[in-house]
Amino acid sequence: MDSLETFRLSENMNKIQILVFSGLLFAIALILSLVESLLPIMPIAVPGVKIGLSNIAVMYAIFFLGARQAYAIAILKALFVFITRGFIASTLSLSGGLLSITGMLLMLFLLKEKVSYLGISVVGAVSHNIGQFLVVSLIYVGVSMWAYLPVLLISGVIAGLLTATLLRILLPAFKRLI
Amino acid sequence: MNFVKKYDIIIISFILMVSLVFWMTYKVFFADQSPKAEIYYYSELVKTVDLGQGIEKYFSIEENPNVVFHLFEDGSICFEESDCPHKLCIKAGKQYRPGQFAACLPNGIILKIVPGENSDRDVDIVIGN
Repeated sequence: MDSLETFRLSENMNKIQILVFSGLLFAIALILSLVESLLPIMPIAVPGVKIGLSNIAVMYAIFFLGARQAYAIAILKALFVFITRGFIASTLSLSGGLLSITGMLLMLFLLKEKVSYLGISVVGAVSHNIGQFLVVSLIYVGVSMWAYLPVLLISGVIAGLLTATLLRILLPAFKRLI
Repeated sequence: MNFVKKYDIIIISFILMVSLVFWMTYKVFFADQSPKAEIYYYSELVKTVDLGQGIEKYFSIEENPNVVFHLFEDGSICFEESDCPHKLCIKAGKQYRPGQFAACLPNGIILKIVPGENSDRDVDIVIGN
């Protein structure tokens, strides 16, 4: 298994199987973000920095189902956040999620075999943070946010490395699921 | 299975470099100057103290020698002594961050911390006489 195994599942699946599998991944994404909120607070006390465990489910959707399913999961997740945590949180979730998926798809499209899960996951996490950063700068007009960008970028790299490692560990379990 | 590939390293180091550049830019352009403390006597600015001097000293203003300020080496400042009844200005403690302030209303004195560069990101306080 030298290269990325991508877009393999959806070719062998019929529509209903894809639908069910997307739904399952969406549920997994929600559960992962719930689990993440239960974890004790990280020692680094930087506000707004999370591991983004639910990115594991989104990444899996990109690799094995397709772009549309991944976008659907991100949008549904933003809707869920809207119901539970309100408008601002939902906008942040949506902007981060969409930019994250777009970034990862771009990486897959441009570099194809040359990157592994690691690079894609890091790009996903970082672009997630950039998406949220853009929206926050739109909401809080005039507040100088640029000092915070390096923090977000570096924490994005760390989060991306973490989720990629976790996905790598979880892949065999995912395979048994199917 | 290659878990790490060449481009992964390139991407990660690129992102780290970009954040380093941002951080340096911020350091150079914005965070260079240390904050200042401004002392007002009935809304008139009577003294400005640079907090980044790294020295410890006691001083008071000409208008009221009974009120003594204490500047610390670490760049914080506080009311040390005052002849007011409740000593609320002393209890306000050390001030060091732009936006913080302490006031001695019976004496009409305000101590507030403002950013080093010229900006209007500070508290606006007025005491009438």
